[in-house]
Amino acid sequence: MGSTLVSAIGFGVVLASIIAVAAMGFTIQFGLTNVLNLSFGAVMTVAAFSAYLANEHGVGGWSGLAVGGLAGAVLTLVLGRGIFKPYARRGAHLFEMMMVTLGLSLVINYAIQAISHNNIYQFAVLPSRPFQLGSILITHTQLVIVFISAAVLVALESLLRLTKIGRALRAMAADPELARACGIRTGRIVVLTWLLSGFLCGMAGVVYIINTQSVGYTTGQLFLPLVVAAAILGGAGSPLGAVLASLIMGIVTEVVAAFGSDAYSTVAGFGILVLVLLSRPGSVRGGQSGHTQLTL
Amino acid sequence: MTAWSYYIATLTVYFGVNVLSGLSLNLQFGYAGVVNFGYIIFQSVGAYIAAVVVLGPSSGTFQQYVFGAHLPFGVALLLATAAGAVLSLLIGLFSLRNIRRDYQAAILLIISLIATQVVQGYVPLFNGSNGVTGIPRPLFSTLPVSLQGYQWAYAGWVLALAAIVYVLVRWLSRSPWGRALRAMRDQEDAAAALGLNVTALRLQVFVIGGAIAGLSGGLLVEYIGAWSPDAWGYAETFVIFTAIFVGGLGNYAGVVLGVLLVPILFLELPRFLPQVGYPGLMDSIEWIAIGAIWMLCLYVRPQGLFPERRNRARRPAAGPLAEPRPEQVGAV
Amino acid sequence: MHVRKIRVALVACGVAACAMAVVAAAQGGRAAGGKVTVAGVIALTGSSDFEGQNQVGGLYPAIYAINQAGGVNGDQVVFKGVDTRGDPADALPAVQQMLATTSNLVAVAGPDTSSAPTIVPVLNQAKIPMMAVAGESVYDRNTAPYFWRLFPPDAANGTAMVLWAKRKGYKRVAAVFGTDSGSQGDKPGVIASLKALHIQLVANVDLTPTQPTYLSSARKVLAAHPDVIMTESDATTAGTFFGELKSLGGLVPIIGTEATFTSPWLTAVKGALGSDFLTDYTGLITAPSKPTAAVTEYRHAVTAVKGQEPKPWQSYLSNPFSITYYDGMIAVALAMVATHSNDPKVFNTAIPSVTNPGKGKKIVYTFAAGKAALAAGKHIEYVGATGLINFDKWHNSFGNQEAVKSTSSLKPVSLGVVTAQQIQAVPVKGA
Repeated sequence: MGSTLVSAIGFGVVLASIIAVAAMGFTIQFGLTNVLNLSFGAVMTVAAFSAYLANEHGVGGWSGLAVGGLAGAVLTLVLGRGIFKPYARRGAHLFEMMMVTLGLSLVINYAIQAISHNNIYQFAVLPSRPFQLGSILITHTQLVIVFISAAVLVALESLLRLTKIGRALRAMAADPELARACGIRTGRIVVLTWLLSGFLCGMAGVVYIINTQSVGYTTGQLFLPLVVAAAILGGAGSPLGAVLASLIMGIVTEVVAAFGSDAYSTVAGFGILVLVLLSRPGSVRGGQSGHTQLTL
Repeated sequence: MTAWSYYIATLTVYFGVNVLSGLSLNLQFGYAGVVNFGYIIFQSVGAYIAAVVVLGPSSGTFQQYVFGAHLPFGVALLLATAAGAVLSLLIGLFSLRNIRRDYQAAILLIISLIATQVVQGYVPLFNGSNGVTGIPRPLFSTLPVSLQGYQWAYAGWVLALAAIVYVLVRWLSRSPWGRALRAMRDQEDAAAALGLNVTALRLQVFVIGGAIAGLSGGLLVEYIGAWSPDAWGYAETFVIFTAIFVGGLGNYAGVVLGVLLVPILFLELPRFLPQVGYPGLMDSIEWIAIGAIWMLCLYVRPQGLFPERRNRARRPAAGPLAEPRPEQVGAV
Repeated sequence: MHVRKIRVALVACGVAACAMAVVAAAQGGRAAGGKVTVAGVIALTGSSDFEGQNQVGGLYPAIYAINQAGGVNGDQVVFKGVDTRGDPADALPAVQQMLATTSNLVAVAGPDTSSAPTIVPVLNQAKIPMMAVAGESVYDRNTAPYFWRLFPPDAANGTAMVLWAKRKGYKRVAAVFGTDSGSQGDKPGVIASLKALHIQLVANVDLTPTQPTYLSSARKVLAAHPDVIMTESDATTAGTFFGELKSLGGLVPIIGTEATFTSPWLTAVKGALGSDFLTDYTGLITAPSKPTAAVTEYRHAVTAVKGQEPKPWQSYLSNPFSITYYDGMIAVALAMVATHSNDPKVFNTAIPSVTNPGKGKKIVYTFAAGKAALAAGKHIEYVGATGLINFDKWHNSFGNQEAVKSTSSLKPVSLGVVTAQQIQAVPVKGA
């Protein structure tokens, strides 16, 4: 009983780590640009396929993460500058932009379906053996995923809090016009945000397929709702918030799966997240200062 | 040519149902600024309720579901409408409190996902992923018409109901209540300061929209005779959102045109493309075309084909998802 | 200003509608003249998109075999794909559009389980014969004259799995099923058969499809110490679940439904299990009791059209769904030849007469042989790549099930046969 609970919590942390990498990328992007980017999942799929192809050509193992990250970063930047920005110039606001990203996700997802011949491809499994960590039976791969997620969190939070770029980023997220007036080169910060969030997005796609061990055109699309939930409910722009939201969701999901019905475990994870959010003081209106505009 | 007649009759029914969806979302979002990303579950609950009350008791082997009462279709439609309203009330009561609009939107999206998983996981409710099937067509055996005539009669019935709701919603949004909605959407704090109960207003518009959604679901399911989770994925909500965007938010003529363009023409036109490549390729290309046309429409007219007619020059720049602008708040 | 915009919009709609009509007319015109169309009505996109691949995997070889032998009544057979997206609401206009624009339609392969309740009446009313894949038990007593089913009902496949487990001496079974529509249909047959054959169900796990992990569910199965796992889910879910089960050290033999012996599922699970896959997985699939010339002909036809087949083409050499579609289409074509008619109203009722066993009938294994025999004035019995075809009065035919393991190139290797008689002898209740 006790050991079941402990391992369920351990598994919850693994699940949370998988969601968190993507959620951190999403929250950075959404926090700064205010684009509710529904094509985020499609970019994850592209990155996952890039890692798969790299792996087929001998660039295997964990370096797939870097390949996926780069693919995600480049694609996100291209989309940000080449598509989102022109739309914003044409007068698209938050909602119109969300519709644009939705249309875009259809285009990308089904292009991948067409190119991939609608097949599922086997992603080479990293050699991994289970071992006992306290009363939790866990594998090396899973442990590495947890470490990656933790490392990304530490790196992001330090970047945001300790560096000049990070401070500029936060200032812009809070009030872009004020930031511009203060001499921050906003254009560069936006480029940086596309690259950074795109890198995390791509990496997240690869983390996901490392665990599921197969890749298909729906990979990112199916994962997206979990990511959006964790990112928005953790508070736009806050990597720590995204990780906390992922943890709540992950642990509740796995505990319910261990003790209750498997079919409702994700429901419980989502449900708890909603409840936490509703009772969270910061979620009340006015917690966000200033008006919300696209920053592209 | 009879085959064409069936096809067009079906599209007409879908058009009517989508007009109802568009009106509902336009009222909630275009007029009141409530971002209902869970729209499809309110349509869906209407469809399920209409389905299970007209079906007989579940035999338990082929499909399982609750109720099963052999009720006449008119009662079923009323119950479907009521179900949409009741579910909206329940969900609205806890999700429409005074919280940030982006959180609200995310919560409703998550509720939509939860609903799908509950229905899939708990088979005795609405027969899980396979869904309820074999729903009888209303009055099919009693009306003295051919199948073709019946389809057109049904299409007419749907269009008539859509027209009634159209008039009703237009009247509502031009009433003082409708003006209060717009005031709340544009300057919520100001509206509250003037004594409007914004939470109650939001709940009212949410429930009315939910009732229309329930009705649309009931009408749809009595036509197609089956309803399953594949028909109401969370993405379906975005299709209707896009339709009202393409038409122009807050404009009822725009809603009608938008649903004609997006869910009907965009989804149907690509079927007429010649088949090339391996099977399935054409269908992927169809979706790519849908996405591309969608993006093109938004590029050509980001404010929709018919922007809302206002005495102001333009909508608040931030759009309905945004918080009120500081200068507006400050003006109070 | 406002009125002008409305006018522009209406003109745009009008132009679009005309374009639809023109394209349709052009398609109709092109397809006429020595061609008949067979349509595949199935999910080609959406969550059940693999069904479409299984289907064309078998239909292309059938069409090739028919056209190579000179077609039917002088006409060549062409294929048209119609995407149901796995949803009745999408399927209805798609099928009606097909009926409106395809004047020379002779038969439909499909519809699939999810859209069947809406589509079967439409096709039946339009008098188009359909070779359905709907597993619903309601069609066990089908009365629609244009509906035909060569697939076993869902429950029969479950019974075969349990019979096989009993034969192998397994005593403790864990059921691991997805909550997707295909798996939901197949699960009750397994559970009811376990009860009927008194085998213990030690764990009953439902998987919400395509979650990032199923670790707690895997641990639950592990803790129940089953001898064997009976399963069906979508490919991605299966890959994740079994990969995690293996990594936790809990892998036991797996018996899968017919739907698991398809290339996405096998690919995903093979990747997750590595070498254990070759020994631990058994699938129960529709199969002939002994390989005949029909199987050879089928494989020959698949190889001949390998450039057109979905990838990887080799997987369709043994895909049970593809083989069944192949047989269905050959049977329809032979009925057309037998009645000298491309009119469904004429040849539909003749379908059993070219397949069902009977006195003095000549057994044929290929379309070409059947056509020649018919030309020689003989009555024929087509024995297909799936074996004996014997439609009952409900238009159902299902034969033996074969337990197979897979090679690393996803080919089936027979382990033994569960006969239709054995399956029907099990007193299954409530499935």
